[in-house]
Amino acid sequence: MSEHTVGGRVWMYSNYHCNMACTYCLTDSAPSSPRRALSTQAMVTVARQAADLGFSSLGVTGGEPFLRADMAETLVRMAAVLPTLVLSNATLFGPERAERLRPLADADVAVQISLDRAEAAPNDELRAPGNHARVVDAIPRLVGMGIRVRIGTTLDPDADVDDEERSRLCALHRDLGVSDDDHVVRPVVRRGRAAAADMGVRATVADLPPELTITADGAFWSPFGPTVRDGRVDTDLLVTRTIDPLHIPAEALARLVDGQAPGDDARLGIR
Amino acid sequence: MTDPPTTGIPIGRLAEAGAPTGERGPLVALVEADQAPLLARPYFADGDPGPIVAALAQVPEMLEATAPFLGRVLGPSCLPARIKEIAILRTSARASCRYCIEAHTVVARDVGLSVAEVRALRGEPGVEAAFGDPAERAVIGWCDALVGTGPVGKDIKAGLRGAFADHEVVELTLLGATTLLLNRFCTALDLPTSPEVAARLVAEGLS
Repeated sequence: MSEHTVGGRVWMYSNYHCNMACTYCLTDSAPSSPRRALSTQAMVTVARQAADLGFSSLGVTGGEPFLRADMAETLVRMAAVLPTLVLSNATLFGPERAERLRPLADADVAVQISLDRAEAAPNDELRAPGNHARVVDAIPRLVGMGIRVRIGTTLDPDADVDDEERSRLCALHRDLGVSDDDHVVRPVVRRGRAAAADMGVRATVADLPPELTITADGAFWSPFGPTVRDGRVDTDLLVTRTIDPLHIPAEALARLVDGQAPGDDARLGIR
Repeated sequence: MTDPPTTGIPIGRLAEAGAPTGERGPLVALVEADQAPLLARPYFADGDPGPIVAALAQVPEMLEATAPFLGRVLGPSCLPARIKEIAILRTSARASCRYCIEAHTVVARDVGLSVAEVRALRGEPGVEAAFGDPAERAVIGWCDALVGTGPVGKDIKAGLRGAFADHEVVELTLLGATTLLLNRFCTALDLPTSPEVAARLVAEGLS
C-alpha cells in the first residue's frame, strides 16, 4: 500500500452501540442502537490481512468498543500483529472493570479517550451528565497501569472555545499524565447525529484522508464514512461490501485514490 | 412459412409478465445519487442511471465489474443494433421479464423495428408475417432455444450457422445469455419501469 497515498492505518468499527448518546455522534450511537458488530474473528483476520498487505497500524472505534466483554483480549491479539489504537469514552473504566484492561499495558495498544472541554459543564452538555468526572477519574487509573492513553478532543467549530480554555484543557491532560503528543483535536464533522443537529463542518471525500475502514456493512473510505442517520448507514463513502479478503477493498480504495485529482487530500486536516 | 422452432416454453406476453408498472415497489432500495458509493458515482454523474445500476450500486464492487460488461455486450458492437434488439426483446419476452420487455420495446422502436415486429417479438401471433428475413428468424429461434434447457436442436443450430459467422454466433449467444441474466435480475428484484418508458409505451399503444 505504500505506493499509494492510502493511510497506513486500517480502522474497524467493532460495534455501533454505546452507553452514551453524544450530541455530535457520527454513528448516531446509543444504548439501543443496532450493534452491527464485527466478530472477534473478523477483527483478528482483518488485522492479519492488513499486515500482509503492508498496512502499518490498526484502529478500533464504535460505538463504545469496551461494551464488548472480550475487547481487551481482542486488542491484545490484534496488537500482536500491528500497533493498535482504540477509541473509547472511558466511562466503563471504574476500579473494577479497568482491571480487565491491564493486559493492554504489555501490548502495543493505545487507548484514545474522548475529552472535549476543560470544564465539566460544557463537556457534559455535549456528551453526558457526569462524563467529565468519569473520564478524569479513569485516565490516571489507566496511566497508572502502564497503559498508553491518548486524549481525543472533538470541538464544535461554532462553540466559543478560546485559547485560554484550550490551555486549561491541555493543562488538565498533562495533569492526568497524558503528554501533548498524545492529544489530538479535531472538529465535529457534519454527518450522522451532528448533521441532524446542524453541527460541525461539512466533509467531502476530498476533505477526508483515505483510511481503509472496515465495518459489518462493508469497507469505507475513512472512519468518518460509515455514519448513521435515521437508522440508516450512509453509503456515500462506501468502497466495497466485501471485507474479506481485505485486498478487495484495499485495492478498490487505492484505485479511488489514484483517480483523485492532484492536491485532493485532507483539506480539513481531519485525522 | 412456420414460426421458428421453439422449446415449447410459453411466450412471455406482457400481460403475463408480472404486475404493471407502479403496482409494486422494488425488493431492495435503489441507491439515490446522494448515497451513491464512491465506485458508483461515475454512473450517477449524468443523472438517474436507471434501476439496474441503482440496484447494483448496493454492492459497488459488483457494479464496477458488471456495468462495463453489460455496456459492452448490450451496447454498440459488430452486430447491427436491429439484430441485437430483436435478440434482447425476444429473449426477455420468452423469460417473461416485464421490466426488460418494456424497456427494450422502446429501444427496439428507436432502432427502427415496427410496431408489428415488436408485437410479434413480444409474443403476439405473426412472427412469420413480421419477419421475412431468414437471418432474423434464425435469431428469434436461437433466442427461444436459449431460454430453454438442454441441448439446442439441430435445425435451430443450422438456421443460425447458415446466416451468421462464428464470431457473430458467439456474440449472439452471449447477448442472449446476458439478457437472461438481466431478465432474472430485474424480475426477481421487481425493478420498476421508468416513467419515461411507461409514457412511451402508452403513446405507441404498446403498454
